[in-house]
Amino acid sequence: MNSILLVGHPNVGKSVLFHRLTGAYVNVSNYPGTTVEVTRASTRLDQTAILLDTPGVLSLPSRSDDERATMRALLNEEIRCLIQVGDAKNLRRTLTLTALLAELAVPMMLVLNLHDEAMARGISINSGQLAEDLDIPVIATVATGGQGLSELSAHLPKARIPLPMLHYGPEFEAHIGLMTKAIERISPHPQLAARGLAILYLGGDSEVTDWLSQHGQAKDYAELLTLRESALLKHNLATLLARERTEAAGTLASAVTRRNVRSSPLLSQKIGQAVVHPVWGIPILLGVLYAVYEFVGVFGATTLVGLMEEDLFEGILNPAFTSLVTHLITIPWLQELLVGQYGLWTMGMTYALALILPIVTTFFFAFGVLEDSGYLPRLTVIANRLFATIGLNGRAVLPMVLGLGCVTMATLTTRILHSPRERLITTFLLALAIPCSAQLGVVLGMLGGVSFTALLIWALAMVGILLLAGFLAAKLIPGRRIPLVTELPPMRLPILGNVIKKTGGRLKWYLIEVIPLFLIGTFIMYLLDKSGALPAIIEAGEPLVSGWLGLPKEASAAFVMGFLRRDFGATGLFAMADVLSPIQAVVWMITITLFIPCFASFMMMVKEQGIKTAFGMVALIVPFAFLIGGLFNIVLRALW
Amino acid sequence: MTNINPHHDTRLPLAFIKPGQEVKLAEIGQEIDAHQREQLTAYGLAESRSFKVLQQKPMTVILADEVELALEHQVARHIWVIR
Repeated sequence: MNSILLVGHPNVGKSVLFHRLTGAYVNVSNYPGTTVEVTRASTRLDQTAILLDTPGVLSLPSRSDDERATMRALLNEEIRCLIQVGDAKNLRRTLTLTALLAELAVPMMLVLNLHDEAMARGISINSGQLAEDLDIPVIATVATGGQGLSELSAHLPKARIPLPMLHYGPEFEAHIGLMTKAIERISPHPQLAARGLAILYLGGDSEVTDWLSQHGQAKDYAELLTLRESALLKHNLATLLARERTEAAGTLASAVTRRNVRSSPLLSQKIGQAVVHPVWGIPILLGVLYAVYEFVGVFGATTLVGLMEEDLFEGILNPAFTSLVTHLITIPWLQELLVGQYGLWTMGMTYALALILPIVTTFFFAFGVLEDSGYLPRLTVIANRLFATIGLNGRAVLPMVLGLGCVTMATLTTRILHSPRERLITTFLLALAIPCSAQLGVVLGMLGGVSFTALLIWALAMVGILLLAGFLAAKLIPGRRIPLVTELPPMRLPILGNVIKKTGGRLKWYLIEVIPLFLIGTFIMYLLDKSGALPAIIEAGEPLVSGWLGLPKEASAAFVMGFLRRDFGATGLFAMADVLSPIQAVVWMITITLFIPCFASFMMMVKEQGIKTAFGMVALIVPFAFLIGGLFNIVLRALW
Repeated sequence: MTNINPHHDTRLPLAFIKPGQEVKLAEIGQEIDAHQREQLTAYGLAESRSFKVLQQKPMTVILADEVELALEHQVARHIWVIR
């Protein structure tokens, strides 16, 4: 089936538009890099085509993983047309990408989204003139409000190949001409123009390089390689070609844009500057963290969990279900499997729905508000200096903060980091010291109930271990740190509907993953218990768990659960909270937070870093977790 | 005798510009790695383009058209501007 591709810069609203045009929900946030893979769905725009949402490209030739994913879609899809989505208030930048896409010579149209933000800044664009100059439809939209979508739909059939926006200098044109002819002869693309591929190939696009090398004879490809090498001997072509495109885009943008001078910055701009202010930035950050703690740790983990666990499950559902099962089922082992100590309902479903669900719901909601407000990219500025000490830059704070929601998702978003070294260090730190929302909620609920000091010790221990492990990893892993350059998107008032949709989408994903794993975990616990293996494990683990960590020997069972999911293990001990001393609670939470991540995030680590690295990390993390837990046991008993 | 470029003394590193001042880009230094130079060009930083410096601490933040960019001093030190 033919494809319609949404392409454009990061954070211009492609995913919102995709949702509007397909009804399919993809995660949408106010920071660049939310979409890291291509998403596809049938669209109401055209019943005979599939709409593709591609990751944002800062520029082409592609350099980052998300840019490569978009380039692969351009090379491999049967393209009906491209819809370039651009930011109306940044027309110059939008047209720089248009200039390159135009060289590919496929039908396209230009959507100038965020039209409302452009108007608020006194920017008006003569879309008619721009459409005439480019010879393609140009539509202004506000995707979040659904404005301009009917015009988009009406103009889609009129999408056509744009007029070229520029001719490069004569010397560059000579290189491009030679390469174009060679590509036409050796490995012509079924849809994309050889000239466009020549420009991308000369600019060093790795996806185009791979495609050309796979679609021609080896000896012919060598000819392309020789041509490129001779061109690169004389110039840094990628930079020079990009500069010429930027100049051409600037000229066209100036011709069709009118700016009214504003007397003062917008409120959103003032807020945006205050949150990265050297003085006000830190108190604002502390205020945000406190608000999240109150909402997730107090309201979610205490009030809602209390209502769900004690009132609903313990008070109504569990007794009713137990009585129903004992009446209907007479086989004792089956009764116990459903409603016993390790019962699928009394343990598996109760943990998943009564303890975890309220916590992750409040966390995902709070996180959604922060994402859509534009605060998170500003956090990269505040965190940059701290992250420099562990060989990273502030951009790594995004996967780390996302990891507080779900480490599995966060491991995937390490793709927004620029170097393999940064991705490796961040993935390791995510697996080691970042608790996911479910686990965080259990920690807040359990240690918050012990004392604020207990919670503070845990938090300081985690930050300290994160920095120490990061510092050591940065020293041991070769490569250099990349300084931070990042765009700060405008601060926006989050739209409640979008936050709710996003929370719902994440909860669905979470529950689909969590409920089967909790049930499987409970079933394994049941089998281990019935076969007598669990008591044996508890006995075998006693020297480590009781001797070294100072915990009750039954805590071994929770470690077995922790192998399946860290939060499952943490929840296992949450249920024993009444019998633990404050020191035991802190030691346990530190150990289980550092313990191996859940099975799903381990699989994601394998996918992103390879099986050897993933197993290597686990082999490092498990003994490290017990070592640190034991050391805290000794120190806390001596001092507290 | 050293050959002094007549424009040399008018160029300053971006990291040295006080917040609130408007400047024009003169050159993105070769000390910045090639990928980041491309990235800066993609953000719209082209020669002779004006932009405003919003703050210098904890990082350099500039406003170019309607794009706010945050740059670490290590990068801003090698971006040359004219007031």
